[in-house]
Amino acid sequence: MGPLSKLVNLYRLLSNVNNQTKHLPFTTIARNVSTTKPNYDLMEFFDDPKNWGSNEVKSGRSWQKDEMRLKSNEDLHKLWYILLKERNMLLTMEEEAKNETMLFPSPERLDKVEESMENLEAVVRERNKAYYELETGETGERPGRVETGPFGLKFYYKMREYKVPKHMNKKWQETHQFYKHDKDVEAFLLKYGEKKFLSKRRQYKRDFNHVIGLLKRFPNMDMEALKQQYPDVDIEKAKNNHKCRGHFVPK
Amino acid sequence: MRISNILFSRIGKWSKQYANLPDRYIKRSMEQVYWRNPKGINYRANAVIQRKKFYFSVHRPWTAEFRNDNAPGVYRPKVFVEPVKEWNFFCGDRVEVLVGKDKGKQGIVKHIFEERNWVIVDGLNCKLKQMGADKKREFEGIWMQEEQPLLITNEVALVDPSDLAPTTVEWRLTEAGERVRVSIRTGRIIPMPATASQTIDYKSKSTYKEQPKDTEGSVVTEVTFKPKLCTFEMDLMDKMGIKEDRIPPKSYWY
Amino acid sequence: MSSRWYPIYQKGGPQLRVFLPNFWMKLVKPKHEQPPNIVQFACSMEMTKYDIKNYLEKIYNVSVVEVRTRIALGKTRRDPGLGYIVKDDDTKYAYVTLPKEEKFEFPTLFPKVSTDLEDYEKTIKQSKDGFKAYVDRNKNRPGMPGWFTI
Repeated sequence: MGPLSKLVNLYRLLSNVNNQTKHLPFTTIARNVSTTKPNYDLMEFFDDPKNWGSNEVKSGRSWQKDEMRLKSNEDLHKLWYILLKERNMLLTMEEEAKNETMLFPSPERLDKVEESMENLEAVVRERNKAYYELETGETGERPGRVETGPFGLKFYYKMREYKVPKHMNKKWQETHQFYKHDKDVEAFLLKYGEKKFLSKRRQYKRDFNHVIGLLKRFPNMDMEALKQQYPDVDIEKAKNNHKCRGHFVPK
Repeated sequence: MRISNILFSRIGKWSKQYANLPDRYIKRSMEQVYWRNPKGINYRANAVIQRKKFYFSVHRPWTAEFRNDNAPGVYRPKVFVEPVKEWNFFCGDRVEVLVGKDKGKQGIVKHIFEERNWVIVDGLNCKLKQMGADKKREFEGIWMQEEQPLLITNEVALVDPSDLAPTTVEWRLTEAGERVRVSIRTGRIIPMPATASQTIDYKSKSTYKEQPKDTEGSVVTEVTFKPKLCTFEMDLMDKMGIKEDRIPPKSYWY
Repeated sequence: MSSRWYPIYQKGGPQLRVFLPNFWMKLVKPKHEQPPNIVQFACSMEMTKYDIKNYLEKIYNVSVVEVRTRIALGKTRRDPGLGYIVKDDDTKYAYVTLPKEEKFEFPTLFPKVSTDLEDYEKTIKQSKDGFKAYVDRNKNRPGMPGWFTI
């Protein structure tokens, strides 16, 4: 129960989400002379007045996927709007703090809210996927395939939905040009492959030299840990390297 | 693996334990992106130009001091960090200092810096630091004692609780299936200190004080999900009383 | 499918609905003085005037009379260190007109800190006293760790 007791979000306000609770009595003091109706709901774009100008605002952690899986679709829908409002509030406060060159307290709150929103979307997607798999035998996800682009490089092509079939869609045919055999592209690919190979080799060399540096500095190092961290490097070869040896004649 | 992931993996679990910040925030506050390729057809899609080499010290990656250490254009000499198989030192552990003027003294681990294999022992291995010296006003400043980090590989050792002597440890499984640190010399279990899992927000998870915007634990664990053969959208439309009988005309995916 | 994927609309097909909108809006302080019933927002680039109106009415329960939008060009500047040119992202601003009788005033979120000399001296004295107490407490036990205290 421990970790669950600390959670960001105004989940307890769920029941009030539709009737839009107005809980900002502070403005009534400033405006009680005016006869015009003060607009409370725009104040939802701002943090609790207690936190204005404070250095830190404490908050719990974000919603986890496992917790969201327990919730009904309706609850998730309500939670989404709470998170959305919270994010708007934080963005407003951040912007204003930036304009005034003041400290925005606890900027990690923004990440917590966004993480929760990502998790919520993932859970919704998971549920829809399960439905489509049961009903149609397919995931219901946006289909795609691996294609070769005009530069001869492979990429994952995500399909789109169109009103007309492919052979009737002139515009699509013009804009979606995939790889066709081309002398220049062939030449480019050769050079590109070379570049990739060289960068890979350089990376290996860099790791190898680093391992030599480590062996030189820490001769009694745990070799298993070294192997774990640099699995591609031939450690025996590095040990025999002359740079690895100290300034003495080996026995 | 993306570069940012490699960078981020260097920040150890126990270094960021106390701050209790989401990983996403740590990554965001630490990274220095100079260029990101726009979306669309690109020779290198999703290419990012960003700082790859960071200098880690006693400043945490999300602090202004760290940003100052790693200001754009500022690079420091490479630091070789000995690979360690498993991290054995936790906040609140009793350790013995093996080097320096406090050699032989025992103390409590205060901070952990996994990126550099460092621990800071409370009140030991101190250095005097002059603060606020002003030559014009002939003020010599205030002298402060500041703990210096110690390497876990050869400068500190864990203390065996049975004989209060330094020892090497290894991780073993108990009969209950729990992983524990065992002193190699005596075979005695070195218990995990309670402060190891402490964060800035709570001492232990059970004593966490709820903040005004937190959701109560009972509300979170409440199960409201009822399996139903419909999608998220269909369920909501049903609940809201939206009726939709129109069948979507044929469309083509390509 | 991702809830970010919006299906195409065809005549006679079902009405398209967004259940999880991902638009953001932030209320910003207007640079120039505005009538009391006009509020300025910065919003997602994808939002239309109708989106803004619906967003405020449905989610925030604010009645909206008119929405006007503009897109501000992001600044083009030189990177201070390496000297290459950077262009900041464009921003969409919305000017929302509330009904005549309603008023909105941007609150002062950061109250002015008092710069009185007395306050300053007071804090200096406090820190001095604190340091003196610390020195007195540790006078007779140099080199002792901080936890070694009753």
